[in-house]
Amino acid sequence: MSITYLEAIREAQAKALADDDRVFIYGQDVGAFGGAFKATKNLAAQFPGRVFDAPISEDAIVGAAIGAAIDGMRPIIEMQFADFSTPGLNQILNHAATLYWRTRVPCPITVRLPSGGTSGSGPFHSQSMEAIYAHYPGLIVMTPATVEDAYSMLLEAVSIDDPVIFCEHKYLYYHLKAAALPTEAMPVGKARVARAGRDLTIVAYSAMVHEALAAAEELATEGVEIEVVDLRSIKPLDTDTVMASVARTGRLLCVGEAWPWGGVTSEVLARVATEGFNLLDAPPQRLNAKDTPIPYHPDLWSVHRPTARSIAAAARNVLRS
Amino acid sequence: MTTRIPIIMPQLGESIAEATIINLLISVGDQVGADQDVMEVETNKATMNVSSPCPGKVQQLLANLNESYPVGAVLGYLEVNVEDARRLGLERPAPDPNAASHAGDGNGEKGHEPERKTVQPTIRSLPVPAHAAGASYMSPRMKARMAELGLHAADLSGLPGSGAAGRVTIQDFEKFLARLEQHKLTDASSMRVAVADAMRRSWTRPLATVALPCSFDNMLAHRKVTQPKMGPALYALRALAVALSENSAPAGRLIGSKIVHPASIDVGFAVEAADGVLVPVLRNADARPLRELAVRYNELVELARQRRLPKDATGGSIATVTNFGTFGLTWATPIPLPEQTLVLGLGAGRKVPFWDEKRTQFVPIMEANLTLSFDHRVLDGGAAGRLVGRVAELLQTPEKL
Repeated sequence: MSITYLEAIREAQAKALADDDRVFIYGQDVGAFGGAFKATKNLAAQFPGRVFDAPISEDAIVGAAIGAAIDGMRPIIEMQFADFSTPGLNQILNHAATLYWRTRVPCPITVRLPSGGTSGSGPFHSQSMEAIYAHYPGLIVMTPATVEDAYSMLLEAVSIDDPVIFCEHKYLYYHLKAAALPTEAMPVGKARVARAGRDLTIVAYSAMVHEALAAAEELATEGVEIEVVDLRSIKPLDTDTVMASVARTGRLLCVGEAWPWGGVTSEVLARVATEGFNLLDAPPQRLNAKDTPIPYHPDLWSVHRPTARSIAAAARNVLRS
Repeated sequence: MTTRIPIIMPQLGESIAEATIINLLISVGDQVGADQDVMEVETNKATMNVSSPCPGKVQQLLANLNESYPVGAVLGYLEVNVEDARRLGLERPAPDPNAASHAGDGNGEKGHEPERKTVQPTIRSLPVPAHAAGASYMSPRMKARMAELGLHAADLSGLPGSGAAGRVTIQDFEKFLARLEQHKLTDASSMRVAVADAMRRSWTRPLATVALPCSFDNMLAHRKVTQPKMGPALYALRALAVALSENSAPAGRLIGSKIVHPASIDVGFAVEAADGVLVPVLRNADARPLRELAVRYNELVELARQRRLPKDATGGSIATVTNFGTFGLTWATPIPLPEQTLVLGLGAGRKVPFWDEKRTQFVPIMEANLTLSFDHRVLDGGAAGRLVGRVAELLQTPEKL
């Protein structure tokens, strides 16, 4: 018996609906159809009246969820693709993020963003939007990399009072499997050392954790021990765990699937360079997607985003410097 | 009989680890002469040529245009006659050409291979300072760790680095520290540490030493009949002070584009104290006759040995006199203090034959070396020679000192 990353997301939502009457799910085709990726499969039947379809208006979906939250509900909303959350940006950034700070009324909404690339998905169905949301105070941004985290972090997202942007990676939906759902979890805001090593720290999150682990495996055959840190949530960002790892290794490579400009990797590097300069034995490096819109063609896509191979090459560069 | 020898990427400059081939001037089968340019290479500093070490025929070319190769990499092979190869010390059997082309692999597209292995000297006696960078570049972490431990770059001089261009990485450093702990460790005295610190700062300058054998007979004769008793170092000190009062420029310090002349002729002298050296100072040594200086000199020697020198007798001197002859040494290259340009040294006296022109025969004289170590930025051998010559001259008339 095994469970996929996608199934874990469905199970977490089922549990949230079962545990708390205030929870409901709202989004395009989340009802009878079961969601664009079947993340809400059968939930409408299982929880009548609490899982329902929205019009094709992200603006309206978020606005309705905020209203419900003000009224004491704990809505989960699904964007079909992270890319399409942009029409809802005004509601998320200007209203949900600021509500508590303006009114002391909390805004416990969870926005699920199917994120990141899969082969052939192109510029409108592959984006990683976490950096934009992390820029705004008032939001929590989760980027689970494992089946266990997808489950436990989504439950936590629903239970906390702040608005949460839940970036679930589409590439991991079917590829990633675990033996069973977790019974305990690390707290949100704590990074995880996914692999211990002493020569170089690779900081990654979401799907890039797996690429980094594969790169570490490859480099292990060359006698290099890589430590891989999975950020888990990028806001809050667990600088302490990153810094402690760099203190062990003296070298840092940060990997993100999103674009480089003003992103998570630049934030991690900035923090280490400003707060941990004296820990560094080599210039810190980062690896991101290329700074262009995301290509359709599978060959182009495979070189557009970081892969185990390009991560290993970047790691060798850091190790050589 | 012929053999083949490699064409090597030569050492092109102190900090150069690799160079890019920008022009191949030969092809396989060409005859080349000795020192003929065979390739043009470019480093981050200049364009230079690689030349053939002796006449021969180009047998194989391994270097590709526009690719970079580390110093010591094999760029190709020449077929040469055995005697030439032997004369050059290159008669070793040639390495496997396939292995050689690997060693020369620069930043190729072979993403999976660990690229650019540590540069190994391919040939005996080829000066390939592959690890020469050592502690010259220090990462922020290395700097912080060194500061934490109170270490200096000089402490790492014996440590080859494994990082880029041979730099010492933090891992090299921690391993080095771990190895040290296997040895017996004792604390250096604070005196030792202070001397080390001064020497390290002194050594940042280009220092040179000249020497002149000098007869001490007149001085020793004068010394016998004079009270209080004075050592040769004091005679030399006074002579140096007089010489510098005539021309103080050699004792100046170079700061930027200015020579800073001494305000007064205050000369120090080295006194050996427990585990180090102290340098008491005689102020205005040019203005006070020898006998007057002698009283103060003897006081200061005693105070220095007790390590109780008064404040006004330390620091601010413009030169130092050191009598290494007391250790039986005839020659030494003392190092001037960091704030000084000059140090005058006295060697041990020896009876030597001296050709006396008047008597047209050898006569025995007591001779000792006067050495002068100096900051070569401030003066050259000529000026140093004139100064030490003047001191030797003054020592011939000790009664005038």
